[in-house]
Amino acid sequence: MSSPQVPLDTVGTAYTTAPPGAVRRKRMSMWQRPPYWMMLPSVALLLIIVVAPFAVSVYASLTKLNQYTIAHWTSAPFVGLENYADAFRQGNALGASALQSVWVSVSFSVATTILITPIGIIAALLVNKPFRGRRWVRTLFLVPYVMPVFVNAIVWRMLFMNGWGLIDQVLAGLHLANKDTFWLIGPRSFWAMVVADVWSSWPFVYLMVLAGLQGISSDLYESANIDGASPVRGFFSITLPMLRPVLGLALLLSTLNHFNNFTLPFIMFGTPPSPQADVLPLNVYITSFQTFNFGLGAAMSLMTLILMMIPAVFYIRMLRLGEATS
Amino acid sequence: MSYSMSAQQRFWNTLRAVGIALIALFILIPLAYIVLISLTPDTQVGGGSLWPSHWAFENYAKMWPTVHLAQGIRNSVIISGLAGLLATLVALGSAYVLARFQFRGRKTFMLSLITIQTIPSVMLLLPLFVIIVVIQDAISIHLVGRYFTIILTYMTFALPFACWLLYSYMSGIPADLEEAGFVDGCTRLQVVRYVVFPLLLPGMVVTFVFSFLLAWGDVLFASVLTSAETHTVAVSLQAYVSSGESGGDVYWGQLMAASLTSGLPIMVIFLIFQKYIIGGLASGAVKG
Repeated sequence: MSSPQVPLDTVGTAYTTAPPGAVRRKRMSMWQRPPYWMMLPSVALLLIIVVAPFAVSVYASLTKLNQYTIAHWTSAPFVGLENYADAFRQGNALGASALQSVWVSVSFSVATTILITPIGIIAALLVNKPFRGRRWVRTLFLVPYVMPVFVNAIVWRMLFMNGWGLIDQVLAGLHLANKDTFWLIGPRSFWAMVVADVWSSWPFVYLMVLAGLQGISSDLYESANIDGASPVRGFFSITLPMLRPVLGLALLLSTLNHFNNFTLPFIMFGTPPSPQADVLPLNVYITSFQTFNFGLGAAMSLMTLILMMIPAVFYIRMLRLGEATS
Repeated sequence: MSYSMSAQQRFWNTLRAVGIALIALFILIPLAYIVLISLTPDTQVGGGSLWPSHWAFENYAKMWPTVHLAQGIRNSVIISGLAGLLATLVALGSAYVLARFQFRGRKTFMLSLITIQTIPSVMLLLPLFVIIVVIQDAISIHLVGRYFTIILTYMTFALPFACWLLYSYMSGIPADLEEAGFVDGCTRLQVVRYVVFPLLLPGMVVTFVFSFLLAWGDVLFASVLTSAETHTVAVSLQAYVSSGESGGDVYWGQLMAASLTSGLPIMVIFLIFQKYIIGGLASGAVKG
């Protein structure tokens, strides 16, 4: 990266020609009034495209908004918290109840996060020290992460295809399972979704850990080596403790991302999916756009949001901690 | 490094090679299967044998009309490219103010950026659509299905993360140079354009790539806010897959060829900029 062409010599002349007090005053004046107008586009866009729809959605969750009332949505009958109560009741003909979806979503994000963490850490450790061809291995490790989610979903849909998909063929060839295992419907669809998601998302942990490893001084390992500590011991007493902040951040972000994953199950299973794979975002989509119960859908997504706030609050807390220490 | 390797070192080197090989297999087997299916004649997919009787390179020619691929890719490039570019520029303004100034509401704004990230996007789809319809009725200009609408939507969704990313880059750059430029009589805009912009370029590349990825990968909003003329490649593939559910025949060979083709440009972009991306995440993540 070439450094920018800043006229450094003119900086010098400015110091010599202007009286020092005037320069200081000018510098001070630079930081006095924030140029709020620079934030205006961001704020305006976020207000129109995120905050306003969000507010409408909160209101809609308190009304009986469906395909009959949508034409005059501002005058849809107000029903209070009825939608929230409905969300906890047993689901309609299509798909699972909101409560079951909450359970599916939580297990999905916890299961994938637990699985991707060791893979990501091991992968980062493997390529941390230089060796011949490391650049290529690092590139290869990023490929699943770079593949668009919709492509990933289509590919795994095919890999898990009943009877002729690669996974059924291989498992049948090894006499581990029947060819007709039906990975994409029924209870196994949850695990099909987990496998597909693990494949595409472990490089996120890998990237974060790799970044964190760059911040650990090699002196620590050298002194441990002199003291006769084995590499395994070094990992548990130096690497892991030093990685804790980065790892914590990675795990929280990964939990959040998985909770909100709509595209993968949407394309992998189509709508409606089996109840075992009916994650909350997908359930909200079906409730809103296939059974046209917008009020209920809005109530369910607000409940999702409240659930998501739990890890988010952790995250914000962590950031505050960082500010206090620096 | 000494010439002869110790037994212990050799052990760890072997272990590393085995580990890399295992992970590489995990990555490559699905990829190899995509390539294999993309070269299998459509009539043989699902026939039970893994290996096709002949290589069906014609899948790569036939796929274009089957899934409206060319139009989808062109729209995706236009929409994701502009959304990424605009998000980066707009976020630059916010990141500059957030990183360089202390003011009331600064912390609130930064926290609300994180909060916005946690809003499930499904929740915004219908109200956003309703608001867009209300606006288009008010100004009597058609908005649904326009490039303009979907670009603004994606760039706004990319903004919170873009602001945070650029903010952490900004914080790493000393303010001295900006002060110098200011003392020399530059306006605020000139300081940002000639001093901040070049220094921040690596961070802006990373921001662009992530915003671009977000727009390229989305199916949900594109499926509602785009028309037959402006639909993205994600929508055309998704529509094609779900046509199989309603009883249509899915040409898996062509579909795999099309998936590969639509994933390739983004992979190339990401891998070109990977040096910046790893470095950028390193500085951002370690700082927290």
